[in-house]
Order: sequence, then structure tokens, then C-alpha cells
Amino acid sequence: MYGLESLWFNIKDGYVDAVVRGHRSGLLTSPDYNNLCQCETLEDIKLNLTATDYGPYLANEPSPLHTTTIVDRCTEKLVDDWNKMRTNADEPLGQFLDYCTYGHMIDNVVLIVTGTLHERDVHELLDKCHPLGMFDSIATLAVASNMRELYRLVLVDTPLAPYFSESLSAEDLDEMNIEIMRNTLYKAYLDDFAAFCNKLGGTTAEVMRSLLSFEADRRALNITLNSIGTELTRDDRRKLYSNFGLLYPHGHHELAGAEDFDQIRNAMEKCPPYQALFNKLGYGESQMLDKVLYEEEVRRLTDTFEQQFHYGVFYSYMRLREQEIRNLMWISECVAQDQKTRIMDGIVFLF
Amino acid sequence: MSQNRYVVVPTVTVLAVMKARLVGAVKGHALLKKKADALTVRFRQILKKIVDTKQSMGKTMRESAFALTEAKYAAGEFRHTVFDSVETAQVRVVAQTDNVAGVKIPKFEHIMTGGEGKMGLTGLGKGGQQVQQCRKAFLKSVELLVDLASLQTAFLTLDEAIKTTNRRVNALDNVVRPRLENTISYIKGELDELEREEFFRLKKVQAKKKRDGAIQDAERHAKGVSTTENGAPADMSGTPEDSDIVF
Repeated sequence: MYGLESLWFNIKDGYVDAVVRGHRSGLLTSPDYNNLCQCETLEDIKLNLTATDYGPYLANEPSPLHTTTIVDRCTEKLVDDWNKMRTNADEPLGQFLDYCTYGHMIDNVVLIVTGTLHERDVHELLDKCHPLGMFDSIATLAVASNMRELYRLVLVDTPLAPYFSESLSAEDLDEMNIEIMRNTLYKAYLDDFAAFCNKLGGTTAEVMRSLLSFEADRRALNITLNSIGTELTRDDRRKLYSNFGLLYPHGHHELAGAEDFDQIRNAMEKCPPYQALFNKLGYGESQMLDKVLYEEEVRRLTDTFEQQFHYGVFYSYMRLREQEIRNLMWISECVAQDQKTRIMDGIVFLF
Repeated sequence: MSQNRYVVVPTVTVLAVMKARLVGAVKGHALLKKKADALTVRFRQILKKIVDTKQSMGKTMRESAFALTEAKYAAGEFRHTVFDSVETAQVRVVAQTDNVAGVKIPKFEHIMTGGEGKMGLTGLGKGGQQVQQCRKAFLKSVELLVDLASLQTAFLTLDEAIKTTNRRVNALDNVVRPRLENTISYIKGELDELEREEFFRLKKVQAKKKRDGAIQDAERHAKGVSTTENGAPADMSGTPEDSDIVF
């Protein structure tokens, strides 16, 4: 199973690998979540979180707490961890870590670009950007007044430049729906990330192939589900699917033609791993699909920690933390809105 | 009694005018009373609707807030995407007026304009359905809010109208009518008084005439002239039952 990387992995990446595995043990466990679910107020949640890794970040928050504050502080914790690892990372791990954050970078660029088109204040927009997707020249994005200039002046220097030049022409940039643009970029990013992982080879490639193809398939599924009944044509839809994953290419063909949930289900069930997922759902209910998919993702992510000497753990750590923050947001919102009956619907237990 | 009446000259003409005004006041009172009742009925209806709407408002708002949570859970932070894809307002409020018993009541209605615009594709990659559900939930809330605003405004306007009408009804009932009645009875009293004065004056005149006649008779008697032939007029005016002379 292990290639020769076990010989030299620790020379360069041993330290960061140890750090990330240390962080893994800081993730909240089922007993933690059970305690959090018992909370009556946001203060209780804060109190419960002081015993965890989030403690120092929430300690100085003044009292009336808001759910957004909790989420922001928790995100801050992830960002701090991430930056620390990024600083200590050697190549090609550094590049791998950068790749992990490109998803957020795409969101940020799209946010700034649409904001600029609607003449919003740049600083206000920068505050809204996800901190993991920041890059040096992001503030200058607002300088450009039209799309062509934007690409020529700013985007060329960002890591996202190839995605723009590969998949979008200047005319597209001007009139394309922003959501389609976002998803086109994301598709290019996933393809590129997969290619990069393959280049790294060894266990990393193996682990990441499973994670990324699940991600790609989930996106394909979501795009199909969310575009039912909209003006998105079959071909447009097809263009947004990534060029790998278990569904590629036959499943994509079926998904592109799907018109309702049951057709999507039929297309998906031809893949054995997804058939098991869909069996958990009753017919006609798509409500629980998100949670089932999140659960499957978490299962795959936690599995990566079982393998040694690969980079997938970093990606997993980031995704797991994000899921944890989502869980915390759900719990705090349920508590704040007095909807405790729904509290279990949104929590995905990590360990 | 003397202060709560109009300052008028007590004559028969004024009495007639006052009587006409009293009839007018009574009629007006009855009409206003009817209007006040009609307004109150409407007022109660609106109050009932407001209570219902407010109760469902709490529920709907809670559902909407939770739908937003669900959308955030599924789609992450999508606020700015939504912000920037909005071009024109989709729900608009138009104001109309409604007429209840002569009172103009403002009425608001929501109208949907245009289609979904670019909104349909928000959250295409993840959470699009939840975003749409959230949108629907908040649309429902907006509809309820408009209804509630309409009802509340109608409520306030009606409240004001009812107060004014009731004030008028009470003013007619408790101020104008008693004052007119007092004036009428005052005028009647004054007229009776005048009548009695006249009567008394005439009586006095009669008594004087009688006394004068008696003195003349006595003088004639003293001169020895018989007064039986030409004493008749004095005798006739002296009869006590001759009170008709007043009229």
C-alpha cells in the first residue's frame, strides 16, 4: 500500500503532519455535541466551548452573543491553524494547501466582481470575504470597471488565472450569469486539483481521488437538483459537471437529461456507492439528501486519517473543521430561535 | 338653567326657529349614532383580523427565520450573491382607499411584478433549493406584513373616525339638545310671564275705570241728577266675569 514515500515523507512534511493530526484530536466528538444540544442559551454554548479548542477564541466575547459571532470566532480558529501550517509547509505540500483554499478564493473573486459591478464599497466587500480565500491583490479587483480589464489587470496575477482563461471568453465574462460563472470556475478548479493530486502520486493521489470524485459527483447532483425548472439548458448543465468522478461520463449524460428528483435518483443509483446512500432516503423526499451527503463526506474524510504519509489529511482537516463550524452554527441557531426539536436534523457527528 | 341656553330675544318667531333646530339636532343625533354603530362593527371585524394575523405572523416569521438557517447551513454565506442579483423590487405595495360609512380608509395591497430574474440560479452548486425555500418563506412573511400594515392603518383611521363621531353624538346629545330645550322652555316661560303681566295690567286698568265711574256716580248723586238712564255703560264694564278683554 505504501510506496517509497514512507521513506522520505517525514523529512519534509513530518512536522506539519504531526500538527494536523494533533488538530484532529481537537475536533468535537459526539459527547461534546450531546452536551451542546442540551444548552438553553448561547451563553451555555460558549461555556461548553471553553473546554474545547475554541475556548481562547470565544473567551473575550462580550455578552450578548450572536450566532454570527460564534461562527466568526470558530472560523478564525480554523484560519489561524491553517495559516500556521501553510507557513511551515515545504513544497509541494505548500502548493497542495493552496489548492485546498482555491474554492474559497473563487467565491471571494465572484463576490468582489459582482459587488464591483453593483458599485458597492470595496472595504465592506472585503470584510465579507472568506479569510481562507484571501490573496494579496484581492483588493485591487475592485479597480477594474469591466470584465476584460479585470482579467487583464488583476486576475492574471492570481492563481485562478488559468481557470478564467481556459473556460471563459471575454464575451462570457460580460454577460454570463454569475452563478454559472462561479460553477464553471469551480469545475475548472476541481479538474485542476485532481490533475495536481495525480501528479503528486502515491497515497495522496489515491486518497484524494476518492475525496475529489465524491465532491465532483455531489456538485453534479446538486447542480442538477437546483437547476430543475430553471432556464439552464441540458447542454449548459452538462458543461458544469467536472470531467472525473464516478458518474463521469455516463452518469453525467443521464443527469443532464433528468427533469425531476426520481430521474436523478435513477441516474445516481447506477453507481453502487451512491445506491447505498439513496437507500437511506424514502421515495420523493429530497429534504434529507443534504444531510446524507454531508454524512458520507464526513465518513470519507475521517477515513483519510487512517492512512499514513499523504497530504489528504490536510484537506480532510479543513473540510471537517468547516463541517464542525456548520454544526455549531446549526446548534446555535436552533438554540437562539428556540427550535430545539429540529436540532438533530443538522448535526453531522464527526467522531 | 339660565346659563345653559342661547342668548335670544324671547319671541314667538325665535321660538319657532329654536323648535326647528331642536328637530334638526335630534335627527342628526340619530344619524350619527347609526354611523358610529356601523364604524364600530367594522372596527371589531378589523380588530379580530388583526389578532388572527398577528398570531400567524409570529409563526410565519419563525418559520422564515428557520428557513434562512437551513439555507445558510446548506449554501454557506449567500447573502451578497442575493444582494447583487436583485435588480428591481419584486413585491410592491399599492395603496387604495376603502369607504366605510363615509370614512375613507387606506388599504394596502401587495402585487408581484416581474419574474424571478436572476434569482433562480442562486446556490446552483450547493443549497439552491434551500435558498428558494427561504425565499418563498420570506415572501409569505412579506405578504402577511403588508396585510397587517393595511389592517393596522385601517384600525387607526377607524379609531380616529369613531372617536370624532362619538364626540359629535355626545355633543348633540348632551350639549346642543339640552341647550335648545332650555332655550325653548325659557322662551315659553318668558312668553307666559308677558301674558300674565298683560292680564294684570288690564285688570288694573279695569279697576281704575270702575273706581273713576263710582266717583262720577257719587258726584252726580250729590247734584241730584238721576243716573239710572245713562249709568248703564258703567254697570256693564263693572261685571267681574268679563275677563275676555285680554284678547
